[in-house]
Amino acid sequence: MSPNDIKKGTVIRYEGDLWIVMDFQRVSPGKGSSFVRTRMKNLKSGKMVENNFKSAENLDFEDVQYKKMQYLFTDGNLYTFMDNQSYEQVALSASDIGDDVKYLKEGIEVTILTYNDLPLTVQLPKKIQYTVKNTEPAVKGDTASGNVTKEAFMDNGLMVKVPIFVGEGDVIVVNTEDGAYSERVAG
Amino acid sequence: MRPVAEIAIERQRLNDLTRSFFRSRGYVEVETPTLVASPDVSPNLTHFETVLKAPGEQDRAGALITSPEFSMKKLLGQGMEKIFTLARVFRNDENLGGTHNPEFTMLEWYKQGGDYREMMDETEALVQYVCREMLDTHMSRSGQVGVQLFRRVRVRDLLLETAGVDLDSATSDELRKACDRLGIHHDASDTESDLFYRLFLAKAEPAIGNAPTFVYDYPAYQAALAALTPDGKYAQRVELYVDGLEISNGFTELTDATEQRRRFEKEIEERREAGKRAFPVDEELLALLPSVRSPTYGNALGLDRLHMLCVGTKEIGDVLLFPAKRLFN
Repeated sequence: MSPNDIKKGTVIRYEGDLWIVMDFQRVSPGKGSSFVRTRMKNLKSGKMVENNFKSAENLDFEDVQYKKMQYLFTDGNLYTFMDNQSYEQVALSASDIGDDVKYLKEGIEVTILTYNDLPLTVQLPKKIQYTVKNTEPAVKGDTASGNVTKEAFMDNGLMVKVPIFVGEGDVIVVNTEDGAYSERVAG
Repeated sequence: MRPVAEIAIERQRLNDLTRSFFRSRGYVEVETPTLVASPDVSPNLTHFETVLKAPGEQDRAGALITSPEFSMKKLLGQGMEKIFTLARVFRNDENLGGTHNPEFTMLEWYKQGGDYREMMDETEALVQYVCREMLDTHMSRSGQVGVQLFRRVRVRDLLLETAGVDLDSATSDELRKACDRLGIHHDASDTESDLFYRLFLAKAEPAIGNAPTFVYDYPAYQAALAALTPDGKYAQRVELYVDGLEISNGFTELTDATEQRRRFEKEIEERREAGKRAFPVDEELLALLPSVRSPTYGNALGLDRLHMLCVGTKEIGDVLLFPAKRLFN
């Protein structure tokens, strides 16, 4: 397959390992071949690397299945997900899931990637809503002294930098690609 | 989403500032066609192709421009000395959103009698002026760029520093070895240009940093429509980067029609090989090119990206009233 066919979630066999594409961008120099700048994660080690593939190269894409599942719970080691139609359950370890584990919250719907019936990892929705459980109230003079954000802890323990007007009990949307505050939907 | 009124007023101001900058320097604003029969033939560009229909006539293939460059040069060949345009240009098969939108605004300007060094001076003056003047509507990043001196660095020096390769003497084999040494992926099909660009993408570009920086003198195989340096090794091509993002790309223009025809034909051949439409060579351009004086410089600057810089965003949708990502959702 051509690197031009890469999408987020594409799984590539590269140097003997399976890698999932986390992010990609087409780059065209002012002259010459175009490239696909690819950020990809090793599905075994969780290692993240950036590779630039030339559009004319040939890559091995692996045929993976994508299944919508609901996150149920964790026992501290394994994270359990369920297919709401078939009630089939799968469990993944924290290292399978990688950094994204901090965004998991009971009840959310995620995509589980499987390869030869083996669950590999989780793809999160781009945005997830959380309720703010804990944050310091805004202090007068914050804006003047340059403190326009503060730390807030969500109902699942996730820490997010939020604007100072956000208070406890507010529902906010968080971008799961960079962990950034996106908007407040209910106060 | 940013409020549309804010975006519209910023853009209006940006356009006004750009126009007043060039008018005060004696440039004439020109309008160029968006629909053409012979668009840019660069192999990595994918056009929005269309068909021109007229009653009683044969259908003809056309495309939306990826840059107003050819039309601008035809005007130079007809005797215009200093021209600029704010053109809407179109590029297909690029990322949707982020720093790209399939249609965007290109500021292009040309001056006969000047080379790329003078062009860097003028580009720096323009970007500083716009950033300073946009301050009353905005923001700290704009303010910093408005007063900063822009760095100037040769591609050769950047690559020597970041990848340990000297382009003055490096062979393809040495570029390949440098990729191996630095753990950079490469492919058996790579040309010298591909290997250079792998090193540039992985090592040089990330090292440019956030400060406004002109990167210039690209290897001759990345010349595009640029004249070569006197030693024939490099192209007099320059890109401006701010906050790691490419803002403009310009040259001391190639005015040798024979060399230009050779480059066009090579590119058209590469398009054919890649399965892309091979549009006809623009003969009118080649006929007028010898009338363009040497040196002449030209620069193409992404106005949306300048707008992004002024308001401090990395998302092009923040400076467009109708981002394509939303239209094609």
